[in-house]
Amino acid sequence: MRTFLLKAGALTLGTTLASAVYVTAHLKNPSAPLQPAVLTSQQGVDGLTITPGVRQGDVQPVTSTYAS
Amino acid sequence: MRPERPVEAYHFEALGTRCSLFGLGVSQTELLKGEFWVRALGARVTRFSERSELSTLNRADGAWVDISAEMEALLREALLAYELSAGLVNVAVLPSLLAIGYTRPLAEGATTATMVTALPAPALPDVLSVRNKRARLERGCGVDLGGIAKGWMADRLAAQLGSDALANIGGDLRAVGEGPRGDGWPVGLGGATVMLRDQGAATSSVRRRKWGELHHLIDPRTGLPSRSGLEEVSVVAATGCEAEVVAKTALLLGPGLATAYCAAHSQAWWLST
Repeated sequence: MRTFLLKAGALTLGTTLASAVYVTAHLKNPSAPLQPAVLTSQQGVDGLTITPGVRQGDVQPVTSTYAS
Repeated sequence: MRPERPVEAYHFEALGTRCSLFGLGVSQTELLKGEFWVRALGARVTRFSERSELSTLNRADGAWVDISAEMEALLREALLAYELSAGLVNVAVLPSLLAIGYTRPLAEGATTATMVTALPAPALPDVLSVRNKRARLERGCGVDLGGIAKGWMADRLAAQLGSDALANIGGDLRAVGEGPRGDGWPVGLGGATVMLRDQGAATSSVRRRKWGELHHLIDPRTGLPSRSGLEEVSVVAATGCEAEVVAKTALLLGPGLATAYCAAHSQAWWLST
């Protein structure tokens, strides 16, 4: 019984340590994607940000969204 | 990409702003019918006419009034907008709009501001009840459907015009279908061109409908014109109405929170301080 408890404790401790290492490493991963993914974004607050749901075009717009 | 197909276009002034309709495979007559629809509905939902459905509701003094199916849908959309924006898009700001002098179309000029002390707008679900073809506003309350109505009308009009069309009602727009070249409808947003397919876009701004130090965009938390630090926000979302709500909410949230809100609720956004 004592051996079983020692094994279970060691297994739990090992799993906890492995999880902690994995999570810490993942958080520090600089290549982790932004959520949501951003295709273009200007620095700071001002500017245009486009996600993959929208494609930027190189043609003249037929109309615009504008303040009215 | 397929060869560019000819676009039928039609422009007109209504609801105190510029409207544009575009379609592939639609006739000028169908676009003209679209204009009539906008004018007819606009006359029912404006607060600037004593005879409109909205004015009847606003002056009902707490009584239930009969409303059309369109008005019911618009009021339900206003309640949804309130929920989506956590209360920031609140059509019950009419008393504040009147108090700052926005009592008639701005083309006729604002009247004198009478605001002595600003009051936050009431929670919309507490003062607006909507049943089957009936609605009730609490006594002393009033609603202005301006922004919501434009996005809502753009959504319905684009769908009415067929499977490949775009309706722009004063900057709130909805594009359906693949557009002239099959890669979406090209729309100007924040100085760039974005290709919209079954999407909507809108701009919220304090740079227009402005007089002196005042403007039309009321922050319901204060009852005063917004001073959030953002002056203009444009967004792309699933529909024109949703884009209108997200743009207005982001503008009211200000630069500190707008980016995170837009990232959660829109597909493209442009912020200007």
